[in-house]
Amino acid sequence: MIKSVVSKEYQELQKEIIKLQEKWKLQLDPETIRPNLDKAAMEAGVPVAALTAIDFEISLFLQWVEEINALIIKSIPELEPKLAGIASLLNEEIAINWIEEAFAFNHLYFASFAEENGLEEWIPQFLAETALRPYLQLTAEKVQNEIHRAVPGAGCPVCGEPVRLAALEDEGKKVIHCPRCLAHWHAKRLECSHCGNENHKTVQFLTIEGDSVSQIQVCDECNGYIKIIDTRQYISQPSAALLDLNSIHLDFVAQENSYNVVGEKKQTN
Amino acid sequence: MTKYVKYVDVTKCDGCRACMVACKNWNDLPAEPTEFLGSAQSHAKTTADTWNVLQYIEHENGKGNLEYLFRHSSCFHCTDAACEKVCPENAISYTKYGTVVIDQDTCVGCGYCTQNCPFEVISLKEYKDKNGKEYRKAHKCTMCTDRIDEGLQPACVTTCHTGAMEFGDKDAMIQKAEQRVKEIKDRYPNAMVYNPQGVGGTHSVYVLAEKPSVYGLPDNPKVPTSAVLWKDYAQPIGKAMIGATTMAVVGAFVANKIFSKKANGHDEDGGGNHE
Repeated sequence: MIKSVVSKEYQELQKEIIKLQEKWKLQLDPETIRPNLDKAAMEAGVPVAALTAIDFEISLFLQWVEEINALIIKSIPELEPKLAGIASLLNEEIAINWIEEAFAFNHLYFASFAEENGLEEWIPQFLAETALRPYLQLTAEKVQNEIHRAVPGAGCPVCGEPVRLAALEDEGKKVIHCPRCLAHWHAKRLECSHCGNENHKTVQFLTIEGDSVSQIQVCDECNGYIKIIDTRQYISQPSAALLDLNSIHLDFVAQENSYNVVGEKKQTN
Repeated sequence: MTKYVKYVDVTKCDGCRACMVACKNWNDLPAEPTEFLGSAQSHAKTTADTWNVLQYIEHENGKGNLEYLFRHSSCFHCTDAACEKVCPENAISYTKYGTVVIDQDTCVGCGYCTQNCPFEVISLKEYKDKNGKEYRKAHKCTMCTDRIDEGLQPACVTTCHTGAMEFGDKDAMIQKAEQRVKEIKDRYPNAMVYNPQGVGGTHSVYVLAEKPSVYGLPDNPKVPTSAVLWKDYAQPIGKAMIGATTMAVVGAFVANKIFSKKANGHDEDGGGNHE
């Protein structure tokens, strides 16, 4: 219902994928995920997922990949010829590789995998990432009570995804949501999540005329940005993944203004 | 489609008037400076440019103490709206959310709605066209239907800092109101949920601290009988009458044609005989 630059069909597809991930998450035995909450490592910015032992069930992972395939083909029939061959390519060994490389967000591996097998570049990583998320989300759910803040620049304290989305809640509390693992944590209202800059002169806000709920927080120290959405104005609270998708126009605006998804501290000579 | 309700708990309101400002801001309404009216209240009632007014009521309660009562007043968005019933141009309609809105393009400024609203929230605004000709249009709160379309809550609700206003699913909001009345019965023995059934229930549901009359609200507002007569009987009958008269005219025309032909024929015959 919320107006978005994203097409209705694609929003519907994403909603279905999120529903599937919810369903898959419930199929997982919580005992297969054993986080090791090392305080020192967490304070240094090591994501919890890297400190967690997860027993992946390969057959389940393969089944999920097939389910996503079926869903995409149902929603966008033109993609069928491009996706049809995937099932025969996948075996246990490749699935293990996919999980590991998706976990590490190794896009180079997936790009070369796609090239070797004559697939379009987006396909392998998209499928692997989508099927991996239920594990990350369950991990986040398990440790959510221990996640209070993040180390600036280290990304999501659970899965390591760069910070890019915050919501304003309650009396204006800035809560950062990870659209990948759905973990959330509190951040200072005037702090760059990429470099920790707290200088009010260099942390600025861009707003879009006619968009009363969104702002882009930009940092002139590291040139990074995050999107801040006042979700208190929404009638019903959308999930972080959908919020991230529907606010994609903010990413365009920020990047056109030469700000980056991940901030980088300028080198001083 | 889900019906939404704006829940207003007047016992939580601290009279800050941010809802008035938020409304002016979102709906781009001009300021209306007023003279001092004898209390902190800024405007006597809602107007065409001020869609919600915060009431300040000095009330002597049962114990003889002064109660300072506040109420955010705006359109109630009745389920059976008198304004919708009396509008001769069908300019007023219900949206799929349950809100009642005026189509400014169709409104002819007749003012029937302003006379029939049981809560007196609609007003006419005078305009002048480029030839200096005056015309009028009816205005009132839209419950920010344009915001609801985008999945956002009304501007007044979003800005309320005490949480006196909430917006959500109709049943959930009515339940919340009933629960709240139970909680405050000790403090306000006359507290009640104001969701008058005489107009089929409303889409602004209030928790009032006192009887409705204290706030200048009707105890049991009804859609005026004349309005029901007008919309449900007079208008359909009128339309049927148009049909009937049209049929009569067409019938008469056809009949005349036939008869006049006969008459002509007769004349010709007669003419022939005469010669």
